[in-house]
Amino acid sequence: MQVGLEVFLGLAAVLFALGLYGAISKKSAVMVLMSLELMAVAVNINLVAFSRFLTPEAMTGQFFTIFTMVVSAAEIGLGLALVLAIYRQSRSIELAGMNRLKG
Amino acid sequence: MGYVAVIPLLPALAFAILAPLSGELRNRLRGVAVAGMAGSLVLSVIAFFQTWPGGHAEHPVWHVTFPLAEISGKPLEMGLMLDPISAAMLLVITIVGMCVQIYSLGYMHRDGRVGWYYAALSLFTAAMLLLVLADNFLLLYMAWEVMGLCSYLLIGFWHEQEAPRKASQKAFLTTRVGDVGFAIGLFAMYNAAGTFSFEGVLGSAASWAPGAATLVALMLLFGAMGKSAQVPLHVWLPDAMAGPTPASALIHAATMVAAGVYLVARALPIFEVSGVALTVTLWVGAITAMVGGLLAAVQHDIKKVLAYSTISQLGYMFIALGAGSVVAAMFHLVTHAFFKSLLFLGAGVIIHASHTQDMREMGGLAKHLKITTITFTAGSLALAGVFPFSGFWSKDEILAVLLHEQQYGVFVIALIAAFITAFYVARLWFRVFMGPEQSDELHEAHTSMLAPMVLLASITTVIGVGGYWFAEFLGHHGAWPEPKIYLPSLVAAGAGLALGWWAYGRMNVVLNTRPLKHRAGYAYDMLSMKLYFDLTYDTFVIKPYMRLALAFAIFDFKRIDGVVNGVARSWRTLSDRGWKFDRTVIDGAVNASASGARALGSRLRRIQVGRVQAYQRYVVGAVVLLMLWTVVKGA
Repeated sequence: MQVGLEVFLGLAAVLFALGLYGAISKKSAVMVLMSLELMAVAVNINLVAFSRFLTPEAMTGQFFTIFTMVVSAAEIGLGLALVLAIYRQSRSIELAGMNRLKG
Repeated sequence: MGYVAVIPLLPALAFAILAPLSGELRNRLRGVAVAGMAGSLVLSVIAFFQTWPGGHAEHPVWHVTFPLAEISGKPLEMGLMLDPISAAMLLVITIVGMCVQIYSLGYMHRDGRVGWYYAALSLFTAAMLLLVLADNFLLLYMAWEVMGLCSYLLIGFWHEQEAPRKASQKAFLTTRVGDVGFAIGLFAMYNAAGTFSFEGVLGSAASWAPGAATLVALMLLFGAMGKSAQVPLHVWLPDAMAGPTPASALIHAATMVAAGVYLVARALPIFEVSGVALTVTLWVGAITAMVGGLLAAVQHDIKKVLAYSTISQLGYMFIALGAGSVVAAMFHLVTHAFFKSLLFLGAGVIIHASHTQDMREMGGLAKHLKITTITFTAGSLALAGVFPFSGFWSKDEILAVLLHEQQYGVFVIALIAAFITAFYVARLWFRVFMGPEQSDELHEAHTSMLAPMVLLASITTVIGVGGYWFAEFLGHHGAWPEPKIYLPSLVAAGAGLALGWWAYGRMNVVLNTRPLKHRAGYAYDMLSMKLYFDLTYDTFVIKPYMRLALAFAIFDFKRIDGVVNGVARSWRTLSDRGWKFDRTVIDGAVNASASGARALGSRLRRIQVGRVQAYQRYVVGAVVLLMLWTVVKGA
C-alpha cells in the first residue's frame, strides 16, 4: 500500500506538539533539551517527506536533513555541557531556578 | 670689569630669593640680604680702587651697552657705566647700606616681619646701585621709580598703624608729582637729542633748539625736587619718619633723597646751557636750606628734626649745583650721607632707650649711653660744620664756590642756614644728652647696633680731609680751605652752638621749657605750623580734590548706578520670564518624556520574568498569532 504525504506530516505534527509541550512544561533542563530534539526530529521528518513527495528527483531535502541533524547533535552537546556546568554550580537543573541574570 | 654689573645684581638676587618665601622662613633667611649687601660692598670697593685715581671725568672707566629696542629706526640703547662719580656713589651706598643692614639685625630683630623688611631694603639697594651705574636717563628713571616704590613700602612698613600708612601714601604721591616733571623732561630730552644716553644728551645739549635746554633742565630739576625733598615738594620727608629708623637712615637721609642731587649733577651741562635753570636751582636750594633749617629748629620729634635737617642739607647740595659745582655738591652728598645716617642710627638707639621720639621727654642720656653719645656727638659736630669733622669741609667747599661765582646773596643765606643748623644741633644735643634723666632704665644698645655707628663716626671724623683728593678724583682741581671762607663759617657754627647752649644747655633744669616760643612769638607759631605748607596743600589741593571726588562719587551713585541698575532690573525681569518658560515648557517636555519612558518600562518589565519557559510561551504564542494572521489574511 502507498503511504501518503499526510501520514508523514501528521506524524511530524504529533511529534512537534509533544516536543513543544515538553519544552514548555518540563521542570528539568535535560527533559526540555530532549523535547527540543523531538521538535527538531519532527522538522526533519517534514523535510524528508516534502523532498520525497514533491521533488523526488532532487536530493535537496535529504541533504538538508543531514545538516540539521549534525547541527542539532552539536547543539545538544553544547546544551548538555551547559546543564552539567549549571549543575556543578547549583546542584540543581531545574529551569525555574535559572533566573539569576534577570534584570 | 664685568663684575661691576654684579654689584646691583646681588641685592636684587637677595630680594628675588626672599620675596616669594613665607613670612616665617623669610625672617630666618634675612642673612641672605646681609650676604648680598656684603658682596656688593666688596665689589664696590674693588671697583673704586680700579677707578682710582680717576681724574678723567669725560671717559668712563668701564662702559657696556646693548640695544634694547628700536624706535622709528633709531636704536634705544641701555647700558651700565662706571666713572668716578658712580664709583664714589657705589662706595657710599654700599658702606651705608651695610651699616644699616647690620644695625637692623639688632634694631629690628623682634619685629615679626623683619624678613620682608630685609627684602625691601635689598630691592631698594639694588635700585639705587643700578641708578648710579646707569649710562642713560631712561634706565636712571626706572631705577628711580623702583626706589620710590621701596621708599613707599618701607615708610608704610608698620601699616597696622594709621600714621605710617598715610605717610607712605603722602610720600608716594608727592614724589609722583615731581616724577611727572621728570617724565616730561625725558620726553622733551628725547625730542631734542633723539637719545637718552648721558654721552649723547650732554654732548649735544649746546646745539639744541632755543628753550629746549631750559625746559628739559627745569623738568629734571622738578623731578629732583620731588625726590630730594626740596621746597615746595619737601612735605613728604618729615612724615616719612614714620618708617623704621634704620630705613630712614639709608633711604631718607643717605641715598634715595640724594638721588635728585645725583640726577642734577649728571645733567648739569644741560643746566649750564640753559643758565636760567642754574639760577632756579641755586634759589630752590637756598630757600630749602633756609626753610629746612628753620623748621628743624622748632620740631620736638627727634627724627623730624633730623628729617628737616636733611631737607636743609640737600638744599645746600642744590646750592652747590646751582653755582655750577658738581664737586662741591657730590662732596657734601658723600659727607652728609655718612654723618646723617650716623645721626639716624644714633636716634634709633636713643628712641629704643627712652621709648619716645619726643625730645621733651628725653634727657641725661650721656651718662648711660656712652658710645652712642660719642658717635652722635661726632655726627652732630659734622652737621654743624665744626672743624675737623666732615661737614665742615664740604660746607666750606660750597661756600667757596659761592664766593668764587660771586653769589653774595646766597652766600649770606648759606651762612645764616649754617648758623641755624648749628643752633638746632645744639638744641637737639643738649635736650637729649644733658639735663635730668627722664627714665631710670636707660640701656646702651647691642654691639651689632653700635659697631656700624662707630664705623660711620670714624668715617665722619676723617673723611673731610679727603675733599682735595675727591675733587681731583672727579677730574677737577682740588683746593684747601681759605681763611676768608672758613672763618665766617666757623663763626656762624660757633654762634649757633652758643645760642643753642644758652637756650637749652645752660639751665640744665626745667623740662618742656620753650624759650624759643616765648621770645619768637608769632614767628614761632608760623614755624610750628610748618610754614603752612601742609595747610596750603590741604586747603588748595587736597580739599578741592576731595570735593571734586565726592561730586563725582555722587554722580556715579545716582546717575551711572541708576542706569546700570535699570539695565540690571530689565534683565532680571526678562530672565524671570525665561525662567518660567524654562520651568513649564522645556522642563515639562523633558520630564514628560522621562516619565513616559519610565511608565512604559515598568509595564514591560513585568513580562521579563527571567524564566526560559515563559519566553518560550511568548514565542509560541507569537508564532500562533502570526500563523492565524497569515491564514486569515490568505483567506
